Amino acid sequence: MVKDPILLACIVTVSLPFLSFLTIFAYTRKWERLSCSISIGAVLTSLICSTYLFVATYHFTEPLQYSIPWLLSGKIIIPFGFLVDHLSMLMLLIVAVISSLVQIYSLGYMAGDPGFSRYYAFQSLFAWAMMTMTIAPSMIQFYIFWELVGLASYLLIGFYYEKWSASQAGKKALVVTRIGDVGMFIGLVIVLLFYGNLGVANINSAAVAQKIPATLLTVSAILIFFGVIGKSAQFPLLTWLPDAMEGPTPVSALLHSATMVAAGVYLFARLFPFFMGSHTALQFALLIGTITMLLSSTMAMVAWDIKKVWAYSTISQLGYMVMALGAGGYFAGMFHLTAHAGFKALLFLCSGVFIHHYHTNDFFVMSRQGARGLKVPMVCMTVGALALSGVFPFSGFFSKESIMVALSHHPNKIWLLAGLFGEILTAYYTFRVIFVMLFPKKIEEHGHHQEEHGGGEGVLYWLMGWPLIILASITCVLGFFEKQIEHYLLGDYMLAHAHVAEAAHGGVHAITIAAILLVIIGVAIAWVEYGRKGAAQEGFLTRLPRLEKLFANRWYMDHFYRWALDTFIYGGFTNLFTRNDRRVVDGGIDAVCRATEGSGRIASFLQSNMVQYNILVMVAVIGFVALSFWG
Amino acid sequence: MNSLTFYLVIAAILFSFGLFGVLTRRSLIAVLISIELMLNSASLNFMAFNKFVAPDTAIGQIYTLFIMGIAAAEAAIALSIFLALFRQLRSINIERARELRG
Repeated sequence: MVKDPILLACIVTVSLPFLSFLTIFAYTRKWERLSCSISIGAVLTSLICSTYLFVATYHFTEPLQYSIPWLLSGKIIIPFGFLVDHLSMLMLLIVAVISSLVQIYSLGYMAGDPGFSRYYAFQSLFAWAMMTMTIAPSMIQFYIFWELVGLASYLLIGFYYEKWSASQAGKKALVVTRIGDVGMFIGLVIVLLFYGNLGVANINSAAVAQKIPATLLTVSAILIFFGVIGKSAQFPLLTWLPDAMEGPTPVSALLHSATMVAAGVYLFARLFPFFMGSHTALQFALLIGTITMLLSSTMAMVAWDIKKVWAYSTISQLGYMVMALGAGGYFAGMFHLTAHAGFKALLFLCSGVFIHHYHTNDFFVMSRQGARGLKVPMVCMTVGALALSGVFPFSGFFSKESIMVALSHHPNKIWLLAGLFGEILTAYYTFRVIFVMLFPKKIEEHGHHQEEHGGGEGVLYWLMGWPLIILASITCVLGFFEKQIEHYLLGDYMLAHAHVAEAAHGGVHAITIAAILLVIIGVAIAWVEYGRKGAAQEGFLTRLPRLEKLFANRWYMDHFYRWALDTFIYGGFTNLFTRNDRRVVDGGIDAVCRATEGSGRIASFLQSNMVQYNILVMVAVIGFVALSFWG
Repeated sequence: MNSLTFYLVIAAILFSFGLFGVLTRRSLIAVLISIELMLNSASLNFMAFNKFVAPDTAIGQIYTLFIMGIAAAEAAIALSIFLALFRQLRSINIERARELRG
């Protein structure tokens, strides 16, 4: 049917998860084993196909595009299809790898859950939406699947819908990201109106800048960047991501590494040449990224919920990616996205094992119950933490280094300083968790837990264990492929290439050494406070209660939003609309009713209760009319 | 005698009697009979026109048949209404039915 193997692989990759979603929802919800086999089979096939695609297109220099016209409206043609270039292939591979590992891991984590089939159906939906978004050739297709990604994450965050907080968190994620999406949509419409085409390749071409006036280009770039802010949980809209922890832990892993939040950064990278056209927009992105990175790092320093710590760290790492892209480091941003997808999925999946085992999210409690007894997740989590804080042989070191290089190339050094300061914070909050887990103050002996450690869980434990080991090994070696990935990605964007190649020579060593030193300082602070024998396991922030309270309350952002919502939306708009509804709409309909009734009453005076007189009048009138026409 | 005008005059007289009956009689049955008279005058017109103006076709006759059918249906409905009214008022005097006064 389809001759071209690449096209066939694309179709198979994106359609199988969708088919599995439909099948599970329509037919196999009752049979849990069948459902999960279908879903995992589909995503593994997608993984094989995307690996094939990655390998097959490795040496291609020109992006391939397959599309069929989907909507025609006047001169505007909206195509639907696949854009196969290096960026989309890399992202597709990341998505496929992480989704497959998460789905396999979920076999263990979700075992026995009443919504098991539903969970796998949503996972398939998520994978489908993300993959199709990744290889979208036009921004309309991108936007449709972008929203589907939002929908799928809404469904998965609110997976335990009986729980009030979970359903609220799902709603919050949907609504907050929607604020950004509206901006993005307006931005896209501006581009469409002035440029008349929303193909990714067309938007990225230099012709855009000639057709759209500079101011408008900046406005539309910033509006599209709002989409990134919403999806990637950047500064003003970052509050939805920590709440999204209400979903099952594998969902958080998926959400935080390769899909939902990565979609925002991917959008930025996808339209990177377009954003390059507007200096102001890039500055704006840099600013937002920096604020986000610093704010969320401080929040992570006081969280006691292990998933919350990783959630804040995700936000701050996303801040790093946006900073890197904003500073023009196209490769640095994408490489950090890749590395981060690996180690953040690893961290979440490891915490998932602990949460599954100890039924608590508090890592102090876990530690007291002997969390370090679980060898595989503990070792893997340490690997993930080392990568997150940027320690040498792990992937995070290389990606952060390239970000710092990109930042150092920016004329304004304040961004670099902020980035380096973020390194201390990252190392500190990461190793706070690790040291607490590794060196508990006292271990409460629980007989049955010890038994379970001795391999009592068997298959389930190793179902969760293997994905961890795979991710940990990826994290260990990924950094050494930096040059290959750089070459792979930058082959098609000469613009960014020149930028980075130039940067690669000057002052790199100084920055690397500074970064390593700062990481060591961060780890050392964490060691003094949490790690060493007899440490109080209290952060220095407990001595600054005001600051601690500020951080723990997320800088009162949620309070502010609540207040703003109550004052402006409920107090202002909703009030107005309620009044409008009561007075204008209801009142209008009532008035129509009253008018009808009144006119009916007036007309009823004609009914004189004497039928024959009425008929007489009728006959007379008809006769009169007939006569007048005759005449 | 045997001309169109004659029949038309007869029909007109019949119609006038019917109309007069509808307007003056107090009994609902009499009103119904008067309506039948008016219908029959219309039928007579149709037949007369059919015979004198277009004798080749049977359109007028068909109309007459239809009018007879309609009259039968109308009589059935009217009589059942009168029955219902009689149960309500114990009378079929048209002047007693004055509840719908505006």
